[in-house]
Amino acid sequence: MTIRNVVFLAIFFLGVVIAMVPENTTKPYKLTAEAMLIEVQGAAEMVSADDVAHWIISKDPSLQLIDVRSPDEFAKYHLDGAINIPLSVILSDEYRDYLDQGVKMNVLYSNGTLSSHQGWMILRQLGFKNNYVLQGGMNYWFDTIMNPQAPSMLAADEEFAKYDFRKAASGALGGGSTGALTAPVKEKADKPKVIRKKQKKAPAGGC
Amino acid sequence: MKTNYMNPYLAGVLLGLVLLMAFFFSGRGLGASGAAKSVVVSAVEVVAPQHTANSPYYSKYVGEGKTPLKGWLVFEMMGVLVGGFLSGALSGRLNWKIEHFPGITANRRLVFAAMGGILFGFGSQLGRGCTSGSALTGMAVLSVAGFVSMMAIFGTAFAMAYFLRKNWI
Amino acid sequence: MGPLVPQEIIGADWNLFIAFAIGIGFGFVLEQAGFSSSRKLAGMFYGYDTVVLKVFFTGAITAMLGLLFFSLFGWIDLNLVYVNPTFLGSAIVGGIIMGAGFIIGGFCPGTSVCAAAIGKIDAMVFIGGIFLGIFFFAEGFPLIKDFYMSGDFGPMKVSELLGISGGLMALLVIIAALVMFKFGELAEKKWPREEY
Repeated sequence: MTIRNVVFLAIFFLGVVIAMVPENTTKPYKLTAEAMLIEVQGAAEMVSADDVAHWIISKDPSLQLIDVRSPDEFAKYHLDGAINIPLSVILSDEYRDYLDQGVKMNVLYSNGTLSSHQGWMILRQLGFKNNYVLQGGMNYWFDTIMNPQAPSMLAADEEFAKYDFRKAASGALGGGSTGALTAPVKEKADKPKVIRKKQKKAPAGGC
Repeated sequence: MKTNYMNPYLAGVLLGLVLLMAFFFSGRGLGASGAAKSVVVSAVEVVAPQHTANSPYYSKYVGEGKTPLKGWLVFEMMGVLVGGFLSGALSGRLNWKIEHFPGITANRRLVFAAMGGILFGFGSQLGRGCTSGSALTGMAVLSVAGFVSMMAIFGTAFAMAYFLRKNWI
Repeated sequence: MGPLVPQEIIGADWNLFIAFAIGIGFGFVLEQAGFSSSRKLAGMFYGYDTVVLKVFFTGAITAMLGLLFFSLFGWIDLNLVYVNPTFLGSAIVGGIIMGAGFIIGGFCPGTSVCAAAIGKIDAMVFIGGIFLGIFFFAEGFPLIKDFYMSGDFGPMKVSELLGISGGLMALLVIIAALVMFKFGELAEKKWPREEY
């Protein structure tokens, strides 16, 4: 058989095969199980309620809150500026650009920490960076930020400073207590670094 | 034909494999006119840096830390020179020559080559690619631009062939 | 899983070397196929030599199939492969101008470099013309900028436009190409040319 005929037959055959086989739309995991274990044990993805409160009040532009609860719960109450990406649809293409990016610091939250952390694990294994988890979730948020408990007289000074901050924060965020109208400036809000993600699309191609 | 060119279908398969490797390694396809653009841009910048800084076209490619000559396409084109030379050397086709249809003069050929080049240079910038970058690569990724370019280029060449026939047949 | 450089499986410093190596392959194959001869290239439009049709379409189809099969086997992530964006107006007009350049000059940029590499002086003149053409475009850019940016459809694929799968699209292109190859071979028999 001539080269020409071999080529013709091959490309026709392969063409038929590829036309019939369904497309591969799976999203592969990028991290090995070992690497994932190390990251999870380090717990660097957790961010505290105090820090988030501070960023909201100071209107930090790199903060993006992501509510992974159901749309109903989101409608009932959600944090200022949060967007709703229910856990069940977290893999949909619609939200990919929010979750796979290098500009904003996404803080996932749910009522507790379970759902938000589940979401984080999946996103992290897909290789996405800049996603974090709100420690304690909404429950902890309400207990500490919105309705802070005054520390006992014997507590350390640090506790009082925290309490003062939370009282003011809750005032600024619409919580129950009557504190100062503006929150005091917190000295250090250790922000996790937003990892500049390399250009997602290949380097400018074309002629 | 006495010249021992490779079987075109085999060459096509090999070309496709080279292109596939470009996708696999660098996430992009082939190209050619972009390299010429880098050369022009760099040359103009050396000669008239103020002009490039002010121009809406040049300024995209020059400036702080931008080295257009260290681009993927420029290096690829240098490879094409080497590859073409090797192939020519191996096949005994190395020769200074102004190749033209015997019915016209060498000078006429050169004049038309220059005109063709100018048109292609201009057209490739407007079309955001040439036959290698837009048509060939574009078709391989099924892009609309690729098919549109391919049809426009080949369609026009066919349509104008009659008027240029004296140069070729 | 590819592409390797954009996913940092291979360092970005390798990219230029890879470009060079690929270029060597590209240039070698082009020259082996005879694309270093303007008369062979122009022959496409007069029927006496359809090498352009055969190599071009076989090449595009091979790469097309390659990408689809690689994606099927999980060897490449097609979302990370560059798809050139469609700017309808400039693609068409640019294509028309290039088509004119092709039949007048007998080369395209890639083949002209390949031909220049084996000593073709007409190819070198063509390349000089390319530089001039680009210069004219750059200088006249403000005048056509709006047209240049019009009709932006983004990186749109034909399969998306037609609502079919990539695989089916590939099969359609293959069938069209096979038909064209048949016509091409008939044309060559009808208008043979002597050695050039």
